[in-house]
Amino acid sequence: MISAVDIENLYFKYRGMEEYILGGIDLKIEQGEVLAIVGLSGNGKSTLCYALNGIIPNTLKGELRGNIKIFDQHVKDMNRAELASKIGVVFQDPDTQLFSPTVEDEIAFGPENLCLPREEIGARIDHVLKLTGMEAYRYENPNNLSGGEKQLIALGAVLSLEPNILVFDEAMAQIDDVGKERIKGVVKKLKDRGKTIIMIDHDFNNLDIAHRVVLLKKGKLYDFKGEL
Amino acid sequence: MMKDRALDPRTKLIIVMSISSLSVFIREPKYLIAILVIALFVSKMMKSEIFMILKKLRRILSLFMAMVLIQSLFIKGGNPIIALGEITLLTDVGILRALEFLIRISIILLSASILMTSSSRELLQGLIEWRIPYEIAFMVSVGIRFLPLLREEIEDTLTAVQLRGIDMEKLTLKEKIHLYSNIFTPVVTGAILKSQSLSIAMESRGFRAYNHRTSYLKLRMKARDYLISSFSILVSILIACLYILR
Repeated sequence: MISAVDIENLYFKYRGMEEYILGGIDLKIEQGEVLAIVGLSGNGKSTLCYALNGIIPNTLKGELRGNIKIFDQHVKDMNRAELASKIGVVFQDPDTQLFSPTVEDEIAFGPENLCLPREEIGARIDHVLKLTGMEAYRYENPNNLSGGEKQLIALGAVLSLEPNILVFDEAMAQIDDVGKERIKGVVKKLKDRGKTIIMIDHDFNNLDIAHRVVLLKKGKLYDFKGEL
Repeated sequence: MMKDRALDPRTKLIIVMSISSLSVFIREPKYLIAILVIALFVSKMMKSEIFMILKKLRRILSLFMAMVLIQSLFIKGGNPIIALGEITLLTDVGILRALEFLIRISIILLSASILMTSSSRELLQGLIEWRIPYEIAFMVSVGIRFLPLLREEIEDTLTAVQLRGIDMEKLTLKEKIHLYSNIFTPVVTGAILKSQSLSIAMESRGFRAYNHRTSYLKLRMKARDYLISSFSILVSILIACLYILR
C-alpha cells in the first residue's frame, strides 16, 4: 500500500534567513495512521505543515530541497484544487481562519472554490455540521461563538473539502478544556473512519489518540522519548 | 441572527446607490432634508437597526461634530454672526455648509443601515452577480470583517501600555501623540501577520483554485425587486432633474 505522506531529505529555509529551519526531514506516514509531532516553538513544526500542503513554496517563499509526496504524488506537481482536496489543515488561531458572516457560508467556502454543484455543497454542509455537532449554529455568526466552537467550525470548513489527510497545527492551543474535549471527540471519530491525521502539539494530554509520536528539534525528526 | 431576506441585496444596493448619489450631487439644504426624510423612511421600512449603528458609531460621532464645527469656522462667505474685532469667526453661510455636511453624513449612515439588513455574504453575491470580480468583492467583505480585529489589536496594545503603569488619562496631547506613534508599529505588524494567516487559511481551502467558483447561496430577483429598483432609479432621476431645473 502506498504511504499517505512520504518525505525524503527535506530542507527548507525562509527567504532572507541564514539557517535552514528544516534540516533533512525523512518521514513516512501510512494511510489511516495518527502521527503526533511535538517540539518547542521555532523548531519548524508549522513550517513542516506549510510544506506538506504546498503553502511552501507557493505562498511562503524560500529555498526548498528534497521531496514531499502525498499518496505517491509530488506536492510540487499538484495544483491548488488537488492540494485542498487531499490535505486539510486546521491552524492555531480560529479568528484568522473564519471570515464569513455565517457558519453555513464558512463551511461552503471551500467546496465553492472547488466548483462543486450546489446540491453537493448542501450535502457536505449537512454532513459536516452533524459530524461536529454544530447543527444548531448553522446561521450563527462565527464571531459570536466560543473559542472551542470557532475551532470546530474551522475544522468543519476543512472537512467539507473531504481531505484524506488532516493536519492539526496546534489547533487546541488557544481553547479551553471543554473545547479541547469536543475537538478530540471529532478527531477520534475521524480516526475511526480511517483518516490519516497529523497532530502538531505542545500539550501531551492531546496526544493520547496518536499511534506514534515524533520529536521535531532544530529542524530534524527524532523518536520521542518523553522530553522536548 | 437571520438577516432580512424580503428584498434581494441587489435591490438594496440600488436603493443605497440612488440615495447616496443624490446626497453627494445635491447642495441645497431643503433638497437634502427631503432626501434625509426619504432615507429615514426607507430605512424604517427595511427595519434596519439605526440606533444600534448610531450606538456603535458614537465615538466617531464626536469626530463628525468636530468636523461640522471646523467647517463652519473656516467658511468665511456670508454675513458674520460671531466676530472678534476684525476677525470673523462664524458666518451664516458657514452654518449652512456645516448643516449640509451633517445632513449628508446622516443620509450616508442611514443608507449604510439599509445595507446592514443583508449579510456581507449576500451583498458579496449581489456584487458577483453584477459581474464584479469575486476577488475584489471578497476583499471588501473581508476588510469589513477585519475592522473589529484591528480595533481589538489597538485595544490590546493600549492595555499592554497601561499595564506598564502609564495612565492614559493623565497624558498631555503631545505625550498621547508620541505614545500613539510608538504603538503604530506593533499594531500594523499584528494586522499584517493576521492578514498573512488569513490568506494561508484561504489558500489551504482552495481559494482561487479556478478562475470561477460555484455558489451555495442563490439570489433571485422577484417582481417586487424589479419594481422597487426601477422606482428608486426613476425617483432619483426625477429629484436630480427638479434640482437642476429649479
